[in-house]
Amino acid sequence: MTETTGIPVVLKTDNGVETPVREFLGQMLDSGAVDALIMPLKVPSGDSFAWILLNDAGMLDDAVPFPAVMPVQGARALRSLTRKEKGDLTVLALMRPCEIRAGIELSKLGQVNTDNLILATYDCPGAIPLQDYVNDPESSEASFKEMFTTGEPGENAKPACRTCVNFSAVDSDLHFGFLGISDEGMLVIPGSTRGAELLQKMDIQSETGDKLLPLWKSEVESILKKRTAARDIAFKKTESDIKGFSGMLNVFSNCIGCHNCQSACPICYCRLCYFGSEASRSNPEALMNQAIKRGGISLPPERIMFHTGRLAHMSLSCVSCGQCSDACPVSIPVADVFSFVAEQTQSTFEYKAGRNDGKPLPLRDFKKSELPGVHELVKDAEPGGASHE
Amino acid sequence: MKDKKEKSSNSEFTPKVVGFLCNWCTYAAADLAGGSRLEIPSSFSVVRVMCSSRIDHNLLLTTFFKGADGILVAGCHPGDCHYGEGNYYARRRFAQLKKVMETLDLDPERLELVWVSAAEGNRYAEVVSDFTEKIRKLGPNPMNSSTRF
Ligand code: SF4
Ligand code: SF4
Ligand code: FES
Repeated sequence: MTETTGIPVVLKTDNGVETPVREFLGQMLDSGAVDALIMPLKVPSGDSFAWILLNDAGMLDDAVPFPAVMPVQGARALRSLTRKEKGDLTVLALMRPCEIRAGIELSKLGQVNTDNLILATYDCPGAIPLQDYVNDPESSEASFKEMFTTGEPGENAKPACRTCVNFSAVDSDLHFGFLGISDEGMLVIPGSTRGAELLQKMDIQSETGDKLLPLWKSEVESILKKRTAARDIAFKKTESDIKGFSGMLNVFSNCIGCHNCQSACPICYCRLCYFGSEASRSNPEALMNQAIKRGGISLPPERIMFHTGRLAHMSLSCVSCGQCSDACPVSIPVADVFSFVAEQTQSTFEYKAGRNDGKPLPLRDFKKSELPGVHELVKDAEPGGASHE
Repeated sequence: MKDKKEKSSNSEFTPKVVGFLCNWCTYAAADLAGGSRLEIPSSFSVVRVMCSSRIDHNLLLTTFFKGADGILVAGCHPGDCHYGEGNYYARRRFAQLKKVMETLDLDPERLELVWVSAAEGNRYAEVVSDFTEKIRKLGPNPMNSSTRF
């Protein structure tokens, strides 16, 4: 769990959790502590949300700090604002933990600049699958409210959320915490010196949150235990589902090759992916040769290779946000596979995607004598190995 | 069709092995081995690359998914890379792909990374023969009997 930096403040929640957050952020804007906010607003049709960069505190009335769904992964919003340069203004972004983590990951990839960003997040109960929400916004809102009160993603949440172990206390500047203390209010917890300074500047008159902090922490721990258990079960299932050539084929058998999973993924930022490029297309003779050799091949070819390739390319940075599953039109559990493989590859390189812990991206780094997990895979090419002098 | 499959599962199976060899070391070792008339399995195809770090995931996956039974990546010994540290990065990238294949249970043992210097003609012949033999024992790449991939 990320350590807190400085003293948290308490916001009263007698009027629900959204109002005090709106007021708090409005105060930040008015005092000039930040110049603008990135927050979700309801779209005019009312059945979804959009990220809005706003600097008019009046707009906060329409802002929804804790939306029931995550249509566009927030890291994409951060990227569109800061990809070219960090800009002069300080912008606070309030997003789900997995969106903040994807933002941090993108900053390591040179796609987001966090220098002038204040990253704020909260105890995330999970999100409703996009399709369910679009089909029935009303009952989705009801189940989300339920999730929010208990702090636990019920069976109406996205599968990725039910097994998410990074739903709270991720690396950020400010964290809104309400788990385990809802009777007393809500904590605004600084997670960085920048966050702590901001809080101090705001000079909010409230009793210090020191006494509530342990209560919050222990509730987070207890929910973490449950979600970890759920994740272990899900991973076991995925592991056996995807096993081997036939497993991969089964899981991805009705993939229509639309690459939506990739378009929705916050980490897949490449303008031109190899798998959409001319270079990846085989000429007819080559395909015919394959067909003759095997007796037949599927067309268009290489659907499975696309997924294997994407796993090889980005699983080290996958934050298990589940957007890929949400985007799949044929309901393939893409995120189950990606999260499971990501867990394996990230632990091999002793790396955790979305952390701001100073560790470089694993493929931009090496050790002359490799980490134990890596060593196992390339023994011959390691010191002491058969081909190492 | 039937004949073909039966043939490929008996001991006559000649594996198709592709070697990606670094220009500055292993490729020269291959030359040396050839010049010394050492025996190299005829089914071993060589692709020359300018450094082991030229190898990316797509290159290896394409080779694998198109049906190569084994893939050998060979570069300069650590410390000897012509470009400094290319082979260290290559080793990480290779390990990453291998981990994905291992996790998906897609025959990771068909991929191997070794270092062979320009002077090691004999070792080159040995490495290639040993790897080819290992792949022969493993049998054909399952991809080659799949009509759905
Ligand atoms: S692969 Fe899926 S779960 Fe992982 S970061 Fe991309 S969209 Fe999120
Ligand atoms: S979104 Fe679904 S159907 Fe489209 S490429 Fe990804 S897995 Fe295949
Ligand atoms: S030049 Fe041979 S491995 Fe880099």
